[in-house]
Amino acid sequence: MSEEIKARISPFHWLRQRVFLFRHPWIDIVEYVALIALIIWLMSMSTARLGYYWQWFRVPKYLFQIKDGRLIVGKLIQGLFFTFRISGVSLLLAFTVGLTTALVRLSGSFMGRILSRVYLETIRNTPLIVQIYLMYFVIGPILGLGRFGSAVLALTLFEGAYLSEIFRAGITSLHKGQWEAAHSLGLSGFYTYRDVILPQAIRRILPPLTGQVITLIKNSALVSIVSLSDLALNAKIIAADTFLTFEIWFTAAAIYLVITVALSTLAYYLEKRFKILT
Amino acid sequence: MSEKELGEHIITIDNVSKTFVGGVQAVKDFSTKIRRREVVVIMGPSGSGKSTLLRCLNGLEEPDSGTIVVDNIPLDDNRKNRLEIRKEVGMVFQSFNLFPHLTALENVNLAQIRVRKKSQKEATRFSMELLNKVGIAEKSGNYPAQLSGGQQQRVAIARALAMMPKVMLFDEPTSALDPEMINEVLDVMKNLATEGMTMVVVTHEMGFAREVSDWVIFMDEGQIVETGTAEHFFKNPQEDRTKLFLSQIL
Repeated sequence: MSEEIKARISPFHWLRQRVFLFRHPWIDIVEYVALIALIIWLMSMSTARLGYYWQWFRVPKYLFQIKDGRLIVGKLIQGLFFTFRISGVSLLLAFTVGLTTALVRLSGSFMGRILSRVYLETIRNTPLIVQIYLMYFVIGPILGLGRFGSAVLALTLFEGAYLSEIFRAGITSLHKGQWEAAHSLGLSGFYTYRDVILPQAIRRILPPLTGQVITLIKNSALVSIVSLSDLALNAKIIAADTFLTFEIWFTAAAIYLVITVALSTLAYYLEKRFKILT
Repeated sequence: MSEKELGEHIITIDNVSKTFVGGVQAVKDFSTKIRRREVVVIMGPSGSGKSTLLRCLNGLEEPDSGTIVVDNIPLDDNRKNRLEIRKEVGMVFQSFNLFPHLTALENVNLAQIRVRKKSQKEATRFSMELLNKVGIAEKSGNYPAQLSGGQQQRVAIARALAMMPKVMLFDEPTSALDPEMINEVLDVMKNLATEGMTMVVVTHEMGFAREVSDWVIFMDEGQIVETGTAEHFFKNPQEDRTKLFLSQIL
C-alpha cells in the first residue's frame, strides 16, 4: 500500500475494527441486565420514598395454592382463563368478520363496498370503550345478548374492522397474474381465493396479524368495565382488597406479557415454517 | 407445413374493439377466423394490441364491442358461457404465473381436482404424464422458485394442458427467458403443434413462426396490417409497416 493511501486511512480505522470485535452478544446481554437493574433500583428508591412496603410473599396464593395436597387455582389465573375464553371466541369471530368484510370490499358489489367501508370507518374512528358500553347497554339488550355476548360482539366488531384492512392489504399485494392464471384455468372465485390467493396472502400478513391478535388480548382487558371477571378486573379487585397495588398490577402485567410474547414467538416460527420461496 | 388437415372454424372474432380506461384504443374493429388444428402467430410492435386481443379470447379482457365465439360458445355476459370458455382455452403467460406456494405437481393438479373434479390419484397420474411430456417429471416436487425460467414455463404449459383445452393461447411465452432456455420451451410448443393442438401465439420467435405456424398476423395500432404464410410474410412482405418492423427485429 502506498504511503499516500495509508495517509488517507482514517486514524480511527484500527480502533473501530477492534471495538467491533468486542461486540460479542454477551456484551449486549450484560448491558441489558445493567439497564434493568438500574430501573429496578430507581423504582425501589422511589417506592422507598413513598414508604411502600413490598409484600411479594402474599402474591403467589392469587396464582396457585396447594391446600390438602390439591392444587387450587387462584383468582388471577381464573381471570386469565376468562381472558383466554373471551379473546378466543372474539378472535374466531373477528377473523370471520374481517375476512368477509375484506372480500366484500374487494367484490364487484357497489352497495357491499359502501357498507363495508361505513362499518370500517365507524368502528375505527370511535373508542373501543364507548363501543363496549354501547353494546352492553343498547345493542345487547335489543339482541337479547347477555354480558358476555355483548362484550364478545364489541371486541369482534372492533378487531374485525382492523383485521379486514390487514386481509385486504394482503390480498391486493399479490400480483394480478395469480388471478389471471387461476381465471384461465377455469377456477371459480371460491377456489381461486381458497387455493391460490388466501394461502399466499395469509403468509404475507402473518406479522401484522400477530400484532392484531396481541392487541385483541390486551384490549380484552377493557371488558372489565362491564364487570366481566377477566384478568384485569380480578387484579383490580385483589389490589383494592389487599393494598398490594404494585405487586398485583406488576404480576398482572407480567402475565399479559408472557402470553403475548409466547404468541409472538409462535408467530415467528410459523412465519419461518410456512415461508414461500421466492 | 400446412399439409395437415385443418378443421372447421373454432375461433371467430368479429369486429372486436377494446379501449382502455384513459382512452388508449388497443384493438380496433378486429375480425378473423381460426380453424381447428391451426397454429397462428401474431406479431407486431409493442403496444399494437396483440396481447389485448389474445386476452380477449379467454375473457381476461372484455371487448367493448364485437363478438367472439370459441367452439360454438359465444363469449358474452352469460357467466356460464364464460366459465365454459375458460375451461376450454388454456393460456400461457410471459411471466409464467405459477402458484409459488404449490409444487410443480400441485400446480398442474389444482384445476383438475377443483374444476374437472378428478380424484387426487387420477389427477396426479395425468399430471405426471404431462410433466413427463414437457420433460420435467423429475422436478415434480420442486417449488417454482427452485426451477429455472424455462422449467417454470414448461410447468405452466403442462398446467394449462391439464384442463385438456381445445385451444392454447401463448402470450410471449419466451420473452422473459434467458436465451439458452428459449429452445426448451419452443420445442414443447412445436410438439404440441405436431399433435394438432389449435394454437394462437404472440411471439417474435421467427424460427418458430417459420417452422410451425400455418399463417402469421401482423398487427399495428390494434388492426391487422398484413396476414399470410410465414414464408410469404418474411420473404415478401407487402406493406411498408411490415417491412419496417421486420428490418428492426431481424
